Amino acid sequence: MKIGLAFRAFFNLLFGGKLSDGVITELGLAKKSAASVKPAAPPSPARTTSDGALQFLGILQRDSRLVDFLMEDISSYSDDQVGAAVRELHDQCRDAVARYVSLQPVIDGVEGTFAKAPSKDPNVVKFIGNVPAKTPDGGTLRHKGWRATKIDLPALAAQQDATVLAPAEIEIE
Amino acid sequence: MSKKQQQAARYVIGIDLGTTNSALSYAEIQAEPDPFAPANVQLLPIPQLVNPGEVREESLLPSFLYLPGSSDFPAGTLALPWDEERGYAVGQLAQKRGADNVGRLVSSAKSWLSHSGVDRTSPLLPFRAPEGVDKISPVEASRRYLEHLREAWDARMPDAKFANQQVLVTVPASFDAVARELTQDAAKQAGCGDLTLLEEPQAAFYAWIERHSDWRERVHPGDLILVVDIGGGTTDFSLIAVTESDGTLALERVAVGDHILLGGDNIDLALAGAVAARLAEKGTRIDSRQMQALWNNCRVAKEKLLSGESAQEQPVTILGKGTGLVGGTIKASLLRDDIDKVIGEGFLPATGSNEMPAAQRRVGLQELGLPYAADPAITRHLARFLRQQASSAQQSAVRRGPGGLACPTHVLFNGGVLNATMARQRILATLDAWLAEEGLPPVKPLSGEDLMHAVARGAAYYGIARSGGGVRIRGGVPRTYYVGVESAMPSIPGFPAPLKALAVVPFGMEEGTDTPIPGREFGLVIGQPAEFRFFTSTSRKNDQVGDLFEDYGDQLEELSPMEVSFPAGETSSEVVPVSFETVVTETGMLQLWCVARDGRRWKLEFNVREKVNA
Repeated sequence: MKIGLAFRAFFNLLFGGKLSDGVITELGLAKKSAASVKPAAPPSPARTTSDGALQFLGILQRDSRLVDFLMEDISSYSDDQVGAAVRELHDQCRDAVARYVSLQPVIDGVEGTFAKAPSKDPNVVKFIGNVPAKTPDGGTLRHKGWRATKIDLPALAAQQDATVLAPAEIEIE
Repeated sequence: MSKKQQQAARYVIGIDLGTTNSALSYAEIQAEPDPFAPANVQLLPIPQLVNPGEVREESLLPSFLYLPGSSDFPAGTLALPWDEERGYAVGQLAQKRGADNVGRLVSSAKSWLSHSGVDRTSPLLPFRAPEGVDKISPVEASRRYLEHLREAWDARMPDAKFANQQVLVTVPASFDAVARELTQDAAKQAGCGDLTLLEEPQAAFYAWIERHSDWRERVHPGDLILVVDIGGGTTDFSLIAVTESDGTLALERVAVGDHILLGGDNIDLALAGAVAARLAEKGTRIDSRQMQALWNNCRVAKEKLLSGESAQEQPVTILGKGTGLVGGTIKASLLRDDIDKVIGEGFLPATGSNEMPAAQRRVGLQELGLPYAADPAITRHLARFLRQQASSAQQSAVRRGPGGLACPTHVLFNGGVLNATMARQRILATLDAWLAEEGLPPVKPLSGEDLMHAVARGAAYYGIARSGGGVRIRGGVPRTYYVGVESAMPSIPGFPAPLKALAVVPFGMEEGTDTPIPGREFGLVIGQPAEFRFFTSTSRKNDQVGDLFEDYGDQLEELSPMEVSFPAGETSSEVVPVSFETVVTETGMLQLWCVARDGRRWKLEFNVREKVNA
């Protein structure tokens, strides 16, 4: 039941809603899930907005072990040792971010040169320094900013617990 | 499948069912084909689980299968867009999870499919599965990979069902008749309606033709093209001759090598071993899981070193176990020297054209498992392959030097290992040295691109060429086959009667032809199954149908026996004299028939359950 719902959501995500219901039926989905998809299926456990954040943190831990790194006390290790670990972590972390989120600068300019403010919205541009009373049209670009243009996280299955960022591992020897 | 071709095929589908990666490409069949127009071959993105609960499209499907236990994945996280209750994982997730739990991972199913020492239809895999895991057969594993591809296709192309399309599945040229038949069985079970098998090196060559519409100006009659294919787990050689018939260029596949279980994975593992040995010298020991990480990191580091010219070393780090990441990090580096040593001296050494690979172990008590190549030197395997062609005088299309070595004029590379310029150059340098000994100019490399997908692309192109009058490589059966016949000799206690070999399939027998085997009749007892021992050779190319051989030494390799069973009802115990007839079908499948004088026919089937102890 819950699976059916999660699955439908997932399917829509994957194909961007391009497939019609008829197509889905033709794929044999209706047949296989005939028993489990009821018209009035209860919604899967209320997913909250924090689930997405936890899921993303979980992905960064899974793919690059970012949480391990952040939670470790690194004060006693030499820069050399930290550097060696971070180099690999950095590669993997960046790959993971790039896979799920598309990042672009808010202002695609060269830092240190003049840039026009694309908007007066304080969400988009933060004026710093000797800002006059009237909001200026532009100034020296100090930070290009980042904007997520697309976020594409996989749908969580009903049985997935987003609060567990990484499962414990037990080895059988 | 029973509703035969309700709908005419709209596409040709080419499937590269690889040892470590599979791919699917396709091309639309044109109503009025123009043989000189490009075929417009495309790759199908393959949705697959990459993490629990996460499906992503990739151009390759890793040929791995994971058979999960109840504690492996949260419920519902193995769902695929077309099956929410899937109980196993195929592709990237299987490969990833399998690294942590090898006992439930099916890998290299294709190599098992060609392993004649075991019953390939019995549940063997995962080979080292613990008690309680439901194993599956190599055929079943192949079926599931193909089924995943079919489902991916049907999900994307709901108006052109897979079962109605023309499908080409590639197999190594070195696959024997049994392995080909098992591949066909797996494909049929996975829902292939119209199926043809195509040899991988040929497919790679078709891919080259597809990319070069001016190919007719690049090769000439008399040229001999060597296809070298080094994949993740296997190495394969083929020779294709360029000939001329009726004023147009024709292509003929004139030789295929043995199946060599040796590939890129072995190279990466050897590199990891070199790094681990250096760590051990400094007193740092790593466990098997860290070794796995090191293996992966060495692969990445190798690619970085091989692509950049200047760097002499590349750091490889093994992050700490447990939650302590920085504290347990082990630093090491992969040196250019390591690569030179492992590839240069181990896998692609500059050897003489007379140096043959170290003999295969033929010890009776060998551990059951895949028959990996005993000698890692790919160049020595290549030398043997080119030398073997010397013994076949009839193959006039094979260009040979005065020393007898088959001398290719061109080389086409395929497989992931040969993406590396260094690997290609080492093979070229070795070949050029051999050719210089024979007094011939160096080989010309044919530039291949996209070596990971070439076979699938070439297969789809071939399908189009086949229906549209494009160029086809003539090949025929790449081996000679024999049936064992016991000599009529007085029996000596303790000694089996010597076995003679009757040639039943000549080398190069073409698709869509049949040959009666003259001069030999056998008495078959109706109502009892009869079994024949079956042999093959890739090097004896001049044996003619009906020839009988006594002293063949170790030139013949024994395959699974052939068995003929009679339909129920014919229970009278009469003895029927029969002769053999060989048929090679249009789709390239080999069939042997027993034909009685009155025209009754019985087909011989492979008995793969009978273990063959070579």
